[in-house]
Amino acid sequence: MGVLIALGLLIYFPGRKMAREHVNTKTAVSDHPLLCSKCHLYTSENALVSKLLNEDYYSPFNLAISKDGSRLYVVAQEANSLLVVDVEKQQIINKIKVGNQPHTVILSKNGQKAYVSNQWSDNVSVVDLIAAKVVDTLKTGNGPAGLSLSADGQFLYVVNSYASTISLIDLKSGEELKRFTTGNNPTGVNLSPDEKTLLITSRRAIIAPYGEPVVSELTEIDERTQRVTNRHNIESAYMMENVAFTPAGDLAIVSLNRPKNLVPSIQVEQGWMMNYGIAIVEQKKNGRVIQLLLDEPNAFYPDPFGIAITPDGKKAFVSSSGVNCISVVNIDSIRSLISKSTTEELNSLSNNLGISDHYISKRITTGSDPKGLVISHDGKRLYVAEQLEDKIAIINSETFDKIGSIDLNGPKRITVNRTGRRLFNNSGHTFQNQFSCYTCHPDMHEDGLVYNMAAKDMGRNLTNTQSLREIHHTPPYKWNGKNQTVYKQDGIRFSTVLTRTEQFNYPDLDAITAYILTGIQYPPNLQFNPSGVLTKSQQQGKKIFERKTDNYGAAIPVNNRCITCHNPPYYTNLKLADVGTLAASDDSTQFDTPHLNNIYASAPYLHDGRAATLEEIWTKYGQTDKHGKVNDLTKIQLNDLIDFLKSLRAPRYEKKSTK
Amino acid sequence: MDKIIRKFTMRKYLRYYSVMLGSVILMFVVSCGNRTPHSNSDQRNKSATDNSEQEAVENYHAGSDLAGDTKPLPIYGNWHNFTTKDGLPSDKAYCVRIAGARVLVGTHDGLAVYEKGKWTTYTTKDGLPHNGVVSIDVSAVTGDVWIGTLGGLSCWSGGKFETFNQLNSGLPNDLIYCVICDQKDVWVATAGGAGHYDTYSKEWEIFTEKNAPMHEPWTYGVSAGAGKIYIAAWGGGVIEYTSKSKQFKDYTDPDGEMEIDLLPDDGIVHDVTTATSWANGYLWVSTYFGLSRYDGTHWKGFFDHDCGLASNFINFVRAKGSVVFVCTDRGLSCTNGRSWVTYKKNDNNKDGMAVVLNYGRADDDTKNKSTREIPLSPSISHNFTIGVDADGDKLWVATSQGVSCGQLLK
Repeated sequence: MGVLIALGLLIYFPGRKMAREHVNTKTAVSDHPLLCSKCHLYTSENALVSKLLNEDYYSPFNLAISKDGSRLYVVAQEANSLLVVDVEKQQIINKIKVGNQPHTVILSKNGQKAYVSNQWSDNVSVVDLIAAKVVDTLKTGNGPAGLSLSADGQFLYVVNSYASTISLIDLKSGEELKRFTTGNNPTGVNLSPDEKTLLITSRRAIIAPYGEPVVSELTEIDERTQRVTNRHNIESAYMMENVAFTPAGDLAIVSLNRPKNLVPSIQVEQGWMMNYGIAIVEQKKNGRVIQLLLDEPNAFYPDPFGIAITPDGKKAFVSSSGVNCISVVNIDSIRSLISKSTTEELNSLSNNLGISDHYISKRITTGSDPKGLVISHDGKRLYVAEQLEDKIAIINSETFDKIGSIDLNGPKRITVNRTGRRLFNNSGHTFQNQFSCYTCHPDMHEDGLVYNMAAKDMGRNLTNTQSLREIHHTPPYKWNGKNQTVYKQDGIRFSTVLTRTEQFNYPDLDAITAYILTGIQYPPNLQFNPSGVLTKSQQQGKKIFERKTDNYGAAIPVNNRCITCHNPPYYTNLKLADVGTLAASDDSTQFDTPHLNNIYASAPYLHDGRAATLEEIWTKYGQTDKHGKVNDLTKIQLNDLIDFLKSLRAPRYEKKSTK
Repeated sequence: MDKIIRKFTMRKYLRYYSVMLGSVILMFVVSCGNRTPHSNSDQRNKSATDNSEQEAVENYHAGSDLAGDTKPLPIYGNWHNFTTKDGLPSDKAYCVRIAGARVLVGTHDGLAVYEKGKWTTYTTKDGLPHNGVVSIDVSAVTGDVWIGTLGGLSCWSGGKFETFNQLNSGLPNDLIYCVICDQKDVWVATAGGAGHYDTYSKEWEIFTEKNAPMHEPWTYGVSAGAGKIYIAAWGGGVIEYTSKSKQFKDYTDPDGEMEIDLLPDDGIVHDVTTATSWANGYLWVSTYFGLSRYDGTHWKGFFDHDCGLASNFINFVRAKGSVVFVCTDRGLSCTNGRSWVTYKKNDNNKDGMAVVLNYGRADDDTKNKSTREIPLSPSISHNFTIGVDADGDKLWVATSQGVSCGQLLK
């Protein structure tokens, strides 16, 4: 017995010391609890472990309501379903399987059909609501999101969020008639009450060199001529998720973020990193676009998403998913403000934190991550899709009291991953709730902006936001590769540099790390590589990617071959490299080799976002041949190489194709 | 040895013509005469002239073609000329396109848009990639305007210009000679090959001598018709691309002669092609040595010495229905393959004429040829014509001395 105890002590103490050193290295702190399961269990990708640890939630995202108000139609994003909810009984009466990652639901004019956009299937499910089944599937462009019917109900407009286009589909034939280019990463679409104008929002800004103010496009289509008639520049704003018209049609209201990415992130302490608000778009000739903040001097309302306006046109509700809140906007106050102010005065209000109490009547607290909103046709009730709560909140739209909650009966257990996702989407961990992880990583991806991250000097280290999709196997993190683990990235350093508040406590850090490492997936690459079979051009590009000799037969040094640093399946060798892109403002001399799957969706490119397109990496910024040997390539070959790069997708899909 | 000599000779000629074409496109203003401004007496006499033009036409109709179309060849008069004095940014007009109520004119100094009697100019300050606008087409599907410039391609939609160039996209080359829209596809003819842009997938394809039966990458014209794309490849004749099968077929001058068409109607008249246009089942091909027509089986050549063509030096061709408009260095010709109307300006004043040439009914009936000259006052603004478009009762012509708009005479 004594021998066993002695042996145990001999193993325990050195073992514990080793474990401590291991944990300290991984977390960059010395007091993270020594519990193996926190990392090795919750971040496990083993299918069985994953199944035991996780749950299949509904995650309601958007919703629609029947004319009589008796039925709610709820998009359950994680369940790939449309839920039909009996409002009176507050229960699901039908669960209709649709495509992957459904986004939006709208109803036909007679209310007998629902159209559901399936963002990860590139189609729209046509649901017969009487038979409660999908009766047709309409092919769309890449990443269908927002939907709108034409004035006569004969055509369906489908916003293709990943392709930055909008499709016009003839509902009789099911054929796509035409496709218009929109702003960058569009989502919301709405038809004006006079049924003449469609407005389409976009989330990502128009790509421009760093230093130029952010501008995003609000696209306008004349529904009668079915032509794009205007592309409004919405200055200093992005992430315009949705748009709604007042019933009188005099105003359109758009939710938006106002990023301050041109100032160093040290300004977080000054309440100056990111603002959230609405754009008021006057619907008349030479109508102005006025931006007003939802924020207050010491309180921010991040990630505005849904907008619903009451039938009397007096109130607008805006969901702020980053703070679990609905802001009630008094539209008459805004009308009054607009009528009393000059354009210059109105422009000056767009950064004014002290004005929101003039038009915000109330803040209504909701469950986790409020997204889509819908108001009953009598205007009395507001329904809120609480995405990470699996519930629909019911709010009295006159008293603003929460009068009920429809439980969609998702799993009751809140898993570590789910906790991590709630933390990811919530701004509670930043100074004055200024931003959530989701703010700069919408859809757990990236926002397409370049930030001036605080460092030892101001104005240095411009940083192109990187995607968080499937980064488990692609350490180190950050462009300078200084963080070997997500624990380190999101721990004390994160709070010091970015959030400027208390760091995550360790259970929260474990949860958010588990979510980031295991809960975020790439969408399928349906536009450039839907089946795994490469096109002729992509095949040619693959040969160039893997080539060992140049066009003249000379050997390309190993370190200057694409495949050397960008090796599959993640297309990174996890090392730092100097590819000739060092700028005078960079402190690092080498940069982390980025992973390339779904790279088509991550413009701009290079560590400081200087390359607006993949082409520019080599045409404008590859003249020294340090970022791979490319200057011998013909334009056809360069196009082939880029076609191949665009075809890259997550290993998960490659495995499926192989099977 | 013959082959080598022939190849060498061809290269020599191509080099010569390359230089000549460059000179023509970019510096032809040097060789252009000054336009005589309208005087008050001109204006006073205008209505009287209009009537005389109308009467002349009423007395004389250009004959119908042999392709079954019984419509008489249209004759345009009452010409109205626009120059910098009227608001054009430059007198050097490269192309013209009618888009509903608007007329879009590509000039050396920007895009000019004529709407409700007013010209508005758009330049690089507004987002154009280059002020030299050489080609314009309007998507029939979306209404977007695609603009080929000397420094890149632009899509003008909803008031905004989106630029594609050889550095930021898969565009073959920034020097764009022609752009066309074909449903969801956009095609360009550039100095670095022909390019195909799919507006749905936003992907580019490039076709050069490396992957298509071209003589060299330079392409000057492109047109679409009946599921096929026709590329005017410099020195390589016409390249036909079938969109569905992605197959190429080339049409070159069978006799291989650079200066004469040795065997009539044996194929395309010359390998140095400048434009193509397809309509009503016919492909029309312009060269600097004559005009060709292809009906899918037979080629037919047209030359200034044996028909009403103004000149063999043809800059551009556009077919609309059964009529083809041919822009030459000596005036604008229109034909249905049988009858001809050529608009020419006098050298010494603003007036000119429409020369109408009719043949008898049979193909070989040259004996019953009849010619008549209809006086025009004013005429087209210059004989060096490089762009044309017709729609409804209007004919617009881009010349080296402004743009001209003619009214259909009934």
